[in-house]
Amino acid sequence: MLLNIIKKIYSSNKKIPRFPEKSNKKEIEIKSQKIYTNLEQTISTFKELYSFPINNDVNFRTFDIRSLNKKAAIILIDTIADMKIVNEFVLEPLLNNSNPTGKVEELLSIQAISKVSIIQHAVDEINKGSAVLFIDSFDYALSISVSNIHNRGVTSSENEIVLKGPKEAFTEESSINLSLIRRRIKNENLVAESVPISLRTHNVLYLVYIKDLANEQLLNNIKNRVKALKVDSIQNLPLLEQHIEERKLSLFPTILYTERPDRASSYVEDGYIVILMDNSPDCLILPATFWSFFHISEDHYLRFIYGNFTRALRMLAIFITLFTSAIYVGITTFHSEMIPPDLLLAISATREKVPLPATIEVLLMELAFGLIREGGLRVPSSIGPTIGIVGALILGQAAVQANLVSPIVVIVVALGGVCSFLVPDISMNFAIRLSRYCFIIASGLFGFFGMTVFFTMGLFYMVSLKSFGVPYLSPMTPKYTSSKDTLFRRLLKNEIFRPGYLKPKDMKKN
Amino acid sequence: MKSRNLFIKILCVFIFLPTLSGCWDKKEIEKKAYVVAIGLDKGENENLVITYLIANPEFGTQQQGGSTNEPPHEIISFETNDLISSTNKANAVIAKEISYNLLKYLIVSEKLAKTKNFIRWMYDATKDKDFKRDTYLIVSKENASIFITNNSPKLETRAHRYFDFIIKRGIETATISDASLHKYLRITEADADLFLAIFGTTEKVDPPSGDDMSDNIFAGQLKVNGNTNKTQFIGSALFKEGKMIDQLTVEETRITRLLSSVDEAPDILTTLPDPFNKDFKISITITQLKNIKIKMDVNKQPTTIHVHLPLQVDVLSDHSMVNYASNADKRNELKKFLIERFNDKFNQFIKKTQEEYKSEPFGWSLHARRKFATIAEYEKFDWMKSYPGMDVQISIDIKFGHFGRQSRLPKLKDVRD
Repeated sequence: MLLNIIKKIYSSNKKIPRFPEKSNKKEIEIKSQKIYTNLEQTISTFKELYSFPINNDVNFRTFDIRSLNKKAAIILIDTIADMKIVNEFVLEPLLNNSNPTGKVEELLSIQAISKVSIIQHAVDEINKGSAVLFIDSFDYALSISVSNIHNRGVTSSENEIVLKGPKEAFTEESSINLSLIRRRIKNENLVAESVPISLRTHNVLYLVYIKDLANEQLLNNIKNRVKALKVDSIQNLPLLEQHIEERKLSLFPTILYTERPDRASSYVEDGYIVILMDNSPDCLILPATFWSFFHISEDHYLRFIYGNFTRALRMLAIFITLFTSAIYVGITTFHSEMIPPDLLLAISATREKVPLPATIEVLLMELAFGLIREGGLRVPSSIGPTIGIVGALILGQAAVQANLVSPIVVIVVALGGVCSFLVPDISMNFAIRLSRYCFIIASGLFGFFGMTVFFTMGLFYMVSLKSFGVPYLSPMTPKYTSSKDTLFRRLLKNEIFRPGYLKPKDMKKN
Repeated sequence: MKSRNLFIKILCVFIFLPTLSGCWDKKEIEKKAYVVAIGLDKGENENLVITYLIANPEFGTQQQGGSTNEPPHEIISFETNDLISSTNKANAVIAKEISYNLLKYLIVSEKLAKTKNFIRWMYDATKDKDFKRDTYLIVSKENASIFITNNSPKLETRAHRYFDFIIKRGIETATISDASLHKYLRITEADADLFLAIFGTTEKVDPPSGDDMSDNIFAGQLKVNGNTNKTQFIGSALFKEGKMIDQLTVEETRITRLLSSVDEAPDILTTLPDPFNKDFKISITITQLKNIKIKMDVNKQPTTIHVHLPLQVDVLSDHSMVNYASNADKRNELKKFLIERFNDKFNQFIKKTQEEYKSEPFGWSLHARRKFATIAEYEKFDWMKSYPGMDVQISIDIKFGHFGRQSRLPKLKDVRD
C-alpha cells in the first residue's frame, strides 16, 4: 500500500506515453472563422459542430422575419435555456411584427442581448444557455441571454453548523453566492473579478476582494497562479484548491474552505481574497493560517466569555485527539511509574487477559474507529442509526467482553475520536487524525521521548509552512500586528487591526 | 529522480531507525509484578531477609471478561545479599518481572535498623532507578516479614491503599513523622541532625503505668478492642548517623514536629490536664501560626539558640465549666498554665536530646550553616559535638483561637437545680 502511495506521488514525473489520439484541428479552424453571411451554411456548420441530430437537446429553429423579409434561425440548447422566454419575447415579436424596421434589436424586448461575430463565441454563448439568433446576410449573430440552468435554492449550512448567527450556506450557483456576499458588504469597492481557468470546459472563477483593502502583490500572486494553470477542466473549488496550493504533499491544509457566506465576507473585510466558482457550494479563502482552521464563525457570534470558552474546549480537544492514545501507549509500555497506583493496577488488571501488546491494541481500536467513522459517513441515512449502534455499542462492548481490547482502551480511543469532531475544518481534521497515528507509533517505539521528538518536528514543520507567502502560524510566530485573534479572541472593541501579515491597504478597522 | 531518491532515503531512515535502536526499556504494564512494600530483616551473616508484598491488580476489579477470586496480594520472603539482585531471585517463585514502580513503603525491623551495617543496604536504594526517594521508611518492632504477614486491614484490603491512608493520616495528626528515604539519606549525609522514621508494630505491648497515658505511648501500646487490624503506627524510630538508637513516643514526635525548622507542623489535637479541676482534662488544638524563628549565636561560648514559637490554641472541651470565652482572667490563667507546661515539656525533651542522644532531630543545624562563611569552618565547628553543650532557650507565644463552636456553657448549678 505504501509503495503504491509512493508510486502515485511520483507518477507525475514519468514520461507520458503515446496515445492514439485524433486531431481536432479542422473543427478548431472552423470555429475561429467569422460568422457566415449565408444562413444555410451557418446552420449546417452548427449542425455539424453540435452533432445534430445525435445530440438530442440542441434546438435549431428557422423562421422568417417578416419586417425584414429575411430568413433567420435560432440555435439553443433547450435543457439549459428557458424556452418560454424565447417563445414569448423572441419568436413572437419577430414573427408577428410586420412593420418594416431597420433593426432587429428593437423588436426584441429582452435586455441582455450581445453581438457575436466569430463562430467560437457563438458556440460559447450557446453552451452557456443563451439563444443565438442568426439572420441571413448578417455577418454577426445576436446572443440572447435566456439561460435557465437548474439550481438549488439557498439552504442552511450543513457542515459548519452554528447555534447563533446566520444559517445560510453557499449554493452551486456563483451569482447567488456573490449576491450573498454583496448583501453583507454593500460597497462599490467589492470587486468580483472573473478569471477563466480551464482550457476545455471553460470554467470561470471569481476572485472576490475589496479593492481598497486587499494587497496588490498578494492579488497578483494569486491571479498569476490561477492563470498559469494549464488544465482541461476544473469542475469545482475542491479540485481548484489542489491545483493552486503550494505544498501538495503537505499534511496541513493551506487554503481555507468554507460554505458560510458570513465567514467569507468577514474574511473579505479583513483583506483576504475569496474565490467563488460555479458548481461549488462553497468558497476558498486565501491565504489561510493555522488559526483560520481553528476558528469557527460562532466564536465571534457568541459573547466574549462563551466564545473563548468554546475556543479553550476546542484547543483542549485538539490536544486530547493528538495525545490521549499516544500517552496511553507510552505509559503502559514505558512509563508505568507515572500513573497513580490505583490506575496502574486497574490498567494492569484489564490488560491481563488481552492478547495484544498495547500499541497494536490501540492501533487496532483506532483503525476500527476510523472504519466506523468512514462507514457511517457513507451510510444511507435510512440505515444510519443501525450502523451507529452496531459500530459503537456492539463492537466496543463485544470486543471488551471477548478480551480483545481492554475497556480503558475503548475509553481512550472513543474520547480521542469524539474530541476530533471539535476540529471544525475537514482538512485540519484529517491532518490531526493522521498525525494521531504517527504519535501512537512514535510513542509505541520510544515512549514519551518519541512523542516529544515527533511533536517538536511537527512544530518545526508548521513554522516552516507558508500559504501564499503568509507564515502558517502568524500572527503568533512570527509576530505581526493584528487583532490577536489566535487561540483566544479579544473583545470586539479591541479588535481594531486587520491582520498585518496580509499587508492590507488599510490596517485599522473602525 | 533526485527528489525520489531523497524520499526513499528518508523513508529508510524512518524504517531502520526504530529497528536498529530497539525499544530500550519497553515493558508492557501487565507483564510486571508490582511490589507495594518491601520488608527487610537481618539474615545470617551479613545477609538480608527480604519480604515482598506484591499487589494483585486483578483483585477487586469488576471485569466484563470475568472477575477473579484471587487474594489481594502475595507475600514472599527469602534471603538475599542486596535489594537489587533480589528482583531476579524472586522470579524463581513469582512468574512476572518484579517491578519497584509502585514501591512506596520500606519496612525495616528494629533489629536490622539497630545494626551498624544498616546504612550500607540503604544505599542500595540510591542505585536502582525505580526506587523512589519519597518511599516511606517504616521501622517495625518485630521482624518485617512478620509485620507484613500479620498486617491484615479489614476494610482497605488493597495494601497500597491501606498504607497510603494510614500513613498520610498519621502524618496529618502528627502521631508519626513524615519520614521519607530521601530525608533519611539527606540527614545521614549532613551528619548533624537526627532522623525520625515511622514506628509501627503488629504486636501488643503493655501500656505504661501512670495517669498521663494519652500521648506518652509507643506503637502497640494503644489499647484497642474489637475485631480489627492489629497494626499500629505510633511514634517514631530515632536514627543517628544512619543507625537506629531509640524510639520516641507520640508526645516526643509531636514536640519534634513543632520545633522542627524544616517541616511545617500540622494541627495537633491533644489533651492536657485541666488547670482548674484535677479530675478532668481539656482537649486543645495546637496550630503553628508562623514558621518558628531561630536566633543563633555561634560565636558565644557556649553557643546560644533562641527559638520563638508562635502558637494558636483552640480549647475544645471545658469539663470544669469555666467558660473561657467570657472570662479573661481564666483565659490568662490558662495561657500561663499552657506556656509553663509546653516550656516544661520542650525543655525536658531538649535536655534528653542533649544528654542522651547528643544531637537534635529539629533540623536546627541548617540555621547554623549560614553563620559560617565556608563549609570548612562549619565542619570545624562540628554541630554534633557542639550541640550537647549549647544553651537552648524556647519562648512560646500563645494566642487563643476559638473555644468550640458554642463557646458559652450553662451554669452547672442552674442545670442541676
